[in-house]
Amino acid sequence: MSHTAFQLPGPRVEQEADYVVIGSGAGGATAAVTLARGGMRVAIIEAGPWRDPNDYPQSVYGAMRDMLDAWGSNLTRGRAFWPIVQGSLVGGSTVINSAIAVRTPGDIFEQWERDHGVGGPAMADAIWRIQDQLEHELNVEEVPEVALGRSNRLARKGADAVGYDNHYMLRYVKSCRGAGQCLQGCRSDRKQSLNRNFIPEVLTRGGSVVSCAPVARILVEGRRAVGVTGRFRHPQTKKRGAEFVVRAKKGVLVAASVTRSPLLLARSGVKNRAIGKGFRAHPGAPVFGSYDEPVDMNTGATQGWASIAHREKPGFKLESLSLPLDMIAGRVAGSGELLMERLVEFRHLAMWVQACRAETVGEVRSALNGQPAVHYTLSRDDMVRFREGIYTVAATHAAAGARAILPTIYGMPYKLLPNEIHKLKEAPLDPRAYISILSHLFGGCVMGKDPERSVCDGRGRVHGYEGLHIADASAIPTNLGVNPQHTIMALARYWAEGILGAG
Amino acid sequence: MIWLIKFAMCTMMPRTPALPGIADTDLDGFLRKLKKESDRIYWFGLVLGALVFAITPLITVGVPLPAFWLPRGLLDRHAERLVAHPIYMLRQAAALVRLSAGMCWGADSAVRARFNLPPYGPDPGTFRTS
Repeated sequence: MSHTAFQLPGPRVEQEADYVVIGSGAGGATAAVTLARGGMRVAIIEAGPWRDPNDYPQSVYGAMRDMLDAWGSNLTRGRAFWPIVQGSLVGGSTVINSAIAVRTPGDIFEQWERDHGVGGPAMADAIWRIQDQLEHELNVEEVPEVALGRSNRLARKGADAVGYDNHYMLRYVKSCRGAGQCLQGCRSDRKQSLNRNFIPEVLTRGGSVVSCAPVARILVEGRRAVGVTGRFRHPQTKKRGAEFVVRAKKGVLVAASVTRSPLLLARSGVKNRAIGKGFRAHPGAPVFGSYDEPVDMNTGATQGWASIAHREKPGFKLESLSLPLDMIAGRVAGSGELLMERLVEFRHLAMWVQACRAETVGEVRSALNGQPAVHYTLSRDDMVRFREGIYTVAATHAAAGARAILPTIYGMPYKLLPNEIHKLKEAPLDPRAYISILSHLFGGCVMGKDPERSVCDGRGRVHGYEGLHIADASAIPTNLGVNPQHTIMALARYWAEGILGAG
Repeated sequence: MIWLIKFAMCTMMPRTPALPGIADTDLDGFLRKLKKESDRIYWFGLVLGALVFAITPLITVGVPLPAFWLPRGLLDRHAERLVAHPIYMLRQAAALVRLSAGMCWGADSAVRARFNLPPYGPDPGTFRTS
């Protein structure tokens, strides 16, 4: 079997496999390789192109063009328009994220069991066992000393001084060099994004990859999923190419992303009232610290430091995140000569973020143009958490020795002195005052026991259908409060093992 | 419409004694590329943002003239006030222009050199074809 990329309009491209996996991100690629290792012939169908490290862009412009779904222009629809960032290429968001590996907290399985009738101790044991495997297979290691960079070190120093638990991150990165380009894809080929390992392994095990191939619909006969169909789309010109049909002898796994999996099910005529419901996220917002000495935040790991000390109460996590100059220039407040004056101190800035463990539930619907429309407005309680997270980041900067803190909140001063950060406790609770990004997404095809309130069961099987499975974060029914990639991958393998076990 | 976007971007990121402005970069080339390659919704938002920038001096600085007829000092004040305007839609419209301007400016080799950053190589835009 092989890789098939964009095909010009012409004869229909037809393939057949035991299982068809829609999407090649953390969930899809992990499910696919698990099935392939179990002796199944797997076809992965990916909407985006397959790019290798030599193909990766260097600039933010290139990353938006080549790697992000819809140029990152998917915005939440609600009180504020916050961008939803997702990768659209073979490997999905694993190519553009920081490859952070955090084990699923035990309380999550209790919550799933209590509120959704899935999960519990048996699932917890299985997921942690799989996470052991994944850590070994994908070389999870702590950010090495050589790749830390000053921003991550300062964050550690600040958090220690404030006095909360914090750590350098564990990531799926082998011998990181600290090139500071995780978000544009790791051209050093150190990050273990799944286009570099699991997906090639699927090919070597006799599977196939069809890229540049957005699935239009799942073929359902009666109550059984039997394949997928769509038309190739050129990654640059967006022109439509040949039609493709990939038939599945045994089943179809949907891992097209939190925003796209629900739409695909709905478009394919799958009947379930819970489709699109239960959308959740970790809305994040940055706080800059300005330091006397240059920080040069683009030197060192893009993300190397984190804390989940506030995960349970009040409900946020903290991380370092170094954005490139061509992104920062659009994020620093101001315009005209004032903006240019502020940009002069770029080398002295460190950026750390809070990501809120929001309880707000939104919904994924189809917009008029068929694209996902995410309806989501953070509740007041979540905004209080959000604001507290921002205050904690500011306090960490102050403790790390920042001469000023730049909160980037509308209605607040551009700069606060370290002894003025208490003002952030009165910062606005209107989401429109913040520049936030939604990067960790959950729900839309949530798992649960009750078919009236969930799309699939705890094994990822879509209620009422045969051979139709969910294998991505859209099945996750709650917020995790930690980086989700490790959980998504472990769940996908758990579900794929279930499929193999059911034979 | 490109001239309108260019005007807004050059106002938002002017040359100063300390730093090159966006006019010192290959802005024309950037905008041509952006128009050709970007998502339609993104480009539409950018044009809309530039239009908002041009027609709102009455709201920001109380002068009933389009932005391109404002004297330099007033124009700078307009740019500053628009991105911090109380009306969310206005500041969002301007934010997209500023974000795009930042992508052009921050990727320029001369600008990057000022910040001790290595120049970017090309964005190949290539992918596996088989």
